[in-house]
Amino acid sequence: MDIQKLRDEAKRALGRKEIEYLIGYKKGSYGFRISPCFIETKEEVDQLTFSPLCSLSLVNYLTIEGKPLLPADEKKSKAKKVALLVRGCDSRALNQIIAEGGISPDQLYVIGIPCSGVIDLKKIEARFPHTPDPVDVVEENGNYIITINDQSHTVPVDELKAETCKTCQYPTPLTCKKLIGDKRAGNPPQYEDIQILEAQPPEEKWQFWQNQFSRCIRCYACRNSCPLCYCDGCILEKLKPQWVKRSVDTNENFMFHITRAFHLAGRCISCGECERVCPVDIPLMKLNRKMEKDVKELFDFEAGLDPEVKPLLNTFAIEDPEDFIL
Amino acid sequence: MTTYTLPKDKLPEFLSALSDYEIWAPVKKGPATLFDRLDDLKDVDLDLENQPVISKKAIFPQNEPLFSYDRKGTVTETDLNAVKNTIVFGIRPCDARSFTLLDPVFEGDVPDPYYRARRSKTALLGIACNDPFVNCFCTSIGGSPFGREGLDLLFIDCGDLFTLEVITETGKEITGKASSLLSPATAESSEQIAQAATDKIKRHIDLTGLPEKLASLFEHPVWKEFASKCIGCGICTYSCPTCYCFDMQDETTLKQGRRVRIWDSCMFPEYTLHASGHNPRATRTERFRNRIYHKFKFNMDNFHSYSCVGCGRCISLCPVNIDLIDYLSRVKETE
Repeated sequence: MDIQKLRDEAKRALGRKEIEYLIGYKKGSYGFRISPCFIETKEEVDQLTFSPLCSLSLVNYLTIEGKPLLPADEKKSKAKKVALLVRGCDSRALNQIIAEGGISPDQLYVIGIPCSGVIDLKKIEARFPHTPDPVDVVEENGNYIITINDQSHTVPVDELKAETCKTCQYPTPLTCKKLIGDKRAGNPPQYEDIQILEAQPPEEKWQFWQNQFSRCIRCYACRNSCPLCYCDGCILEKLKPQWVKRSVDTNENFMFHITRAFHLAGRCISCGECERVCPVDIPLMKLNRKMEKDVKELFDFEAGLDPEVKPLLNTFAIEDPEDFIL
Repeated sequence: MTTYTLPKDKLPEFLSALSDYEIWAPVKKGPATLFDRLDDLKDVDLDLENQPVISKKAIFPQNEPLFSYDRKGTVTETDLNAVKNTIVFGIRPCDARSFTLLDPVFEGDVPDPYYRARRSKTALLGIACNDPFVNCFCTSIGGSPFGREGLDLLFIDCGDLFTLEVITETGKEITGKASSLLSPATAESSEQIAQAATDKIKRHIDLTGLPEKLASLFEHPVWKEFASKCIGCGICTYSCPTCYCFDMQDETTLKQGRRVRIWDSCMFPEYTLHASGHNPRATRTERFRNRIYHKFKFNMDNFHSYSCVGCGRCISLCPVNIDLIDYLSRVKETE
């Protein structure tokens, strides 16, 4: 992707008087890290970047408590818009949140970037440890060209790409004002890993998830990095009643993760960020993709494809299947 | 100082010679290596990055039941005499040092019996960092990759064998239990490896004058800018070896209940939520500022040290690149 085109478009957007600021990516403070950034003036546009290292969803910043830099004056901010960079998955997240009434599309100016998938930071940092200086990464002909201190390394894309992105069906943003770069075709849906899990007897599944959830330290990085976890007053913070105890043990951790998976049923857009940020490597996308697969098979529904379509669990049709209800 | 050598392949035997103790170590758990009770010696994983789940939980557990009660009115206090002699093995010098920073908090004017019970029965066996990690900055904050502070025994990786430096009486006692596996070391000094390791640390910050600087910046708009990208998870505080904030919870079922002390995080809104519904740190800006002020000002005011050992975990794990070194440098430049 041509970074200059992105910066030019950002400049044009910031030139519009209704745009308050733009949310994008800039180089991070060290190594392979990218940082979200909030750009208010055309002069700052040159710090904008986009590469396979851009893994965090910027959609989070539209719904986060005390939205960044927006004036406290609600009336003023309502008349204003925020410009936002989105990839395919982010665009689905936006559509889904708009369909749920979480954000008004009138407040947004969306710049779309067709995405070829992001690099899993854990993989690349394990491959190149001790890299404090900022790094450049571009994707070319099935390889990542990684430049560290003027030395370039070529690594096949498959070895570093985030697992979720390998099966991404919608790399091109579905709904946006401007699209920068050429559209990309998605992959066919693929659920082999989920089918393996489904085929296990209940005891084995139970044991598998017990082992996974026993590691959870409840830092909530999965929840907070999820673009669809934007409830004002999350169930985890409720005190009366306290649905999930604050004690961190396998039982309560189960309660947390299963509740979150249920709340994401028909809503998760498979960006995979929850799994990537988990400090203890819990394979959360296996849960989310199982829900996604069920929702697809039972209701022929995929989240976030169209902001006009009502959210799956807010609707009822007489022909909805019900044979899974006990 | 007494120094021994231990062939690396004898490490499992060394640990089994210490079977009188409960041993905590970096343990392989599925895809992750976490600090935990060592049930099977073959699970020790010393080929470690700084683990996100850290050694402080051996002495300051994430959940600590204080007492339990039932409907009949029976109250049972946690029996602290049941705490076993414990060895915390395989920690880094920064993590060992973190306990010396927690001590004045838990053992100050009102000593905490729970912390005391574990701390007094725990020996710290560390491994020197020959190869510091990308965000290590211990040397900027009073530590070193070969630091001995807080440790009873320091293991130095010398290829096929470990050199063991006995630092305290407890360390001597422990080596005594495995003496048949140890040989006296030649007088060769570890200074060279230590210097090489220190030279590998790439990240530095000069903290001179930071608490005074912070004193003048409390209301500065820079905190809003700093906090704007924070997504408010607790990964920085839960992975921090010096964060010690906790919450008290009464967890009840119909017939019984217990009072538990549980790690808390100043990054969560619930942290300072009052019963009235008022929250004195209502926004991310205030919560973020608190984390920095606690570590680099309030702790200095109260305990004469920073509440940070420069392990770099909060930097490495942050999903949105909130980089403590970067931010502190910017604080210093802020007018």
